[in-house]
Amino acid sequence: MQETNISAKNFEQCQKCSLCETVCPVMANNPKYGGPKRSGPDGERYRLKNGIFFDDSLKYCLNCKRCEVACPSGVKIADLIQQARIDFGRQSPKLRDVMLASTDQMGPLASSFAPLVNFSLGLGAVKGIMDFTLGVDRRRTLPKYASETFVHWFKKNAAGAQDAFKKQISYFHGCYANYNYPQLGKDFVAVMNAFGIGVQLINNERCCGVAKIANGMIPAATRDARINVDAFAKEVKEGREIVTVSTTCTMTLLEEYPELLKVDNSVVREHIHLVEKFLYKGIVSGELKPVWKEGWKARAAYHCPCHQERLGWGIFTTELLRMIPGMELTELESNCCGIAGTYGFKKENFKVSQLIGRPLFDNIAEVKPEFVVCECETCKWQIEMSTGVPVKNPVSILAEALDLKKTASANL
Amino acid sequence: MKFDVIIIGGGLAGMTAATALQEAGLKCAVIAEGLSLHNASRREFSTAGGTLLTGDRVTEGQFEDNRLLSVRTEKLEDVLLEADSFILATGKFFSKGIVADMDKVYEPLFGLDVEYEEDRSKWFDPSFTAPQKFLEFGVRTKDGCALKDGKPIVNLFPAGEILSGISSAQSDATEQIKKSAQDAVTAIRRK
Repeated sequence: MQETNISAKNFEQCQKCSLCETVCPVMANNPKYGGPKRSGPDGERYRLKNGIFFDDSLKYCLNCKRCEVACPSGVKIADLIQQARIDFGRQSPKLRDVMLASTDQMGPLASSFAPLVNFSLGLGAVKGIMDFTLGVDRRRTLPKYASETFVHWFKKNAAGAQDAFKKQISYFHGCYANYNYPQLGKDFVAVMNAFGIGVQLINNERCCGVAKIANGMIPAATRDARINVDAFAKEVKEGREIVTVSTTCTMTLLEEYPELLKVDNSVVREHIHLVEKFLYKGIVSGELKPVWKEGWKARAAYHCPCHQERLGWGIFTTELLRMIPGMELTELESNCCGIAGTYGFKKENFKVSQLIGRPLFDNIAEVKPEFVVCECETCKWQIEMSTGVPVKNPVSILAEALDLKKTASANL
Repeated sequence: MKFDVIIIGGGLAGMTAATALQEAGLKCAVIAEGLSLHNASRREFSTAGGTLLTGDRVTEGQFEDNRLLSVRTEKLEDVLLEADSFILATGKFFSKGIVADMDKVYEPLFGLDVEYEEDRSKWFDPSFTAPQKFLEFGVRTKDGCALKDGKPIVNLFPAGEILSGISSAQSDATEQIKKSAQDAVTAIRRK
C-alpha cells in the first residue's frame, strides 16, 4: 500500500486489472450485477461527485469479500460497495429483510415456540405463504430453532462449574449458537473446560450486526456495535480475552465496526480471538495439551468460508485439524457456497445463490467426504441443503476427537 | 508455523518453484498478495499438498547472521512463518517487488541490494520502441542467493522478474522466468 495514498478504502490504488472480476461469484451468475470493479472503485469516482450516480444493482453484492482477497493493490472493494449502499441506498428495508436480519429479535420469539415454529416452517403451505407474502424462497430449507437457548442451558448446567478454573475467557456465542444450534456452544464449553479454561458469558452481548448491515439497518447495527464494544471492554478489564466461534461475527467485530459503522473498536480489537487461532496458538506454545481419543477416525473435507478467507486464518483451522491423528483432511477448492447470510433466503436471489454454490457442491460430490468441516453457520445450512452431506464446526470435531477426560487431567 | 520452503509471491516464478518443490516432497507455503496466480497452478500446488496463504502480505523478515529465519505477515500477526529456505518472487515495478523513487531503486521488503543505474537520466530511453533500461533493474544475487549490504543471505533465493536482467518485455520472458524458478529449486534441493 503506498503511503501517499489518501483515498478512503484505498480506492485510488485500483489499477483496473480486473482480477476482482475473475473471482466475483455473483458476476459470473447474475448479468444484472456490474461486478466489483465497476460497483466499487469505478463507481466511487462518480459517487464522490454526486450520490445520484449510485446504482441499485449494488444490492446484488454478497459482501463475500473475495474481491478484496484477490486485489493485488489492497483496495477494499467490498467495503466501498457496502459503504455506498449505506450512504446512498434509496430503498428502506422490507418487512422480510427486517425479519431475516433481526436474528436477535426473532430468536427469542422463535425459540419460545420452537416445536411449533420448526414444524410450521417445514410445511409446504407455510413455505408457500412465506414465499408469496414475504418473499422468502419456498425451496429453501429454513433453519431450525432450538427450544432451549444456549444461554439458558449454560446458566442451568454449566455456569456453576466455571469459576473453579484458573484460566478464564469470555465467550461471544453469537445468535446462531444461542438460538439455532446450542450444541455448538455446548461443544465449545466442553473443549475449553477440558483445556482447563473456564467460560464466562459476556454480560449484555448483542448480535454482531452483520445481517443488519447487509439489509440496510445501519442505526440498529451501530447501536448493537457500541453496546458490544463496551461489553467487551468490561470483560477485558476483568482480565478475560474474548473468544469467538463464528467467522462472520468475528470479521464484523474486527473489521466492519470501524470500517462501515464507524464504531471505534481499538480498545478491544486485539483481545478478540477466533477459537481456532486461539487453540492453535495455545497448543503450539505448549500451554494447552490435547490428548486425542484412540482409534478416532474421519475422512473430512474443509470448506473455507468467504469471511475466513478474508481474515486469512483458514490455515489455523487446517493446521489444528491435522493435529488429530485419525483425521484425513482434503481442502476443497476455494469457492463461495452462495448463501451469504440472509441473501440466499430471498426469493429474488435463490436461483443465483444455488448457481454460485454449484462448483462447491460438485467438488464435495467428487471428494465424497464423510462430512464437511466449516466454521460458518450459514454455509452449513446451504451445504447440507444442497448436497445432503453433513457439515461440522471444527469445535464440534475437537469435542469428538479429544479424549476430554484425559485432556482435562493433562491440563490441570 | 514451520515449513521447509516459504515462497513469497504467487506469480509464474513463485508457483513454478512452489509446485516443483512441493512435488519433490518438501513442505511449502506460498504467500500471495492478491490472487495473482492462475487457477491451474493454484490447483496443482494445492493437490500436491501445499499451503496457500492468499490475500496476505509479508511485512518483515527476521534475520540472524546471514540467514532469514522467519517472516511476519499482515494477517497472521504474531504467528511467524519459519522455513529453512525462502524464495522471493514478488516481481518488478507493477507488483512492487522493486520500487523506484526519484533518486533510487530499491527492494522494499528486506532492503536487498538492487542492481541499477545511478544516473537517472539513463533509466529510460525517450524512444517508445527502444529497450528500456529500467525494466532490467532488479535484485543482485551471488550463487543464486540474495545480497544484503553486499553479503549473501544464504537461504534466500530471488526468482522471476525481481532479478536483475530479467524483464517481461523480453521476447523469451516466460522461459527466463521459469528457468530462474528452476534454478532456485535446484539450489534449494542441493542443500
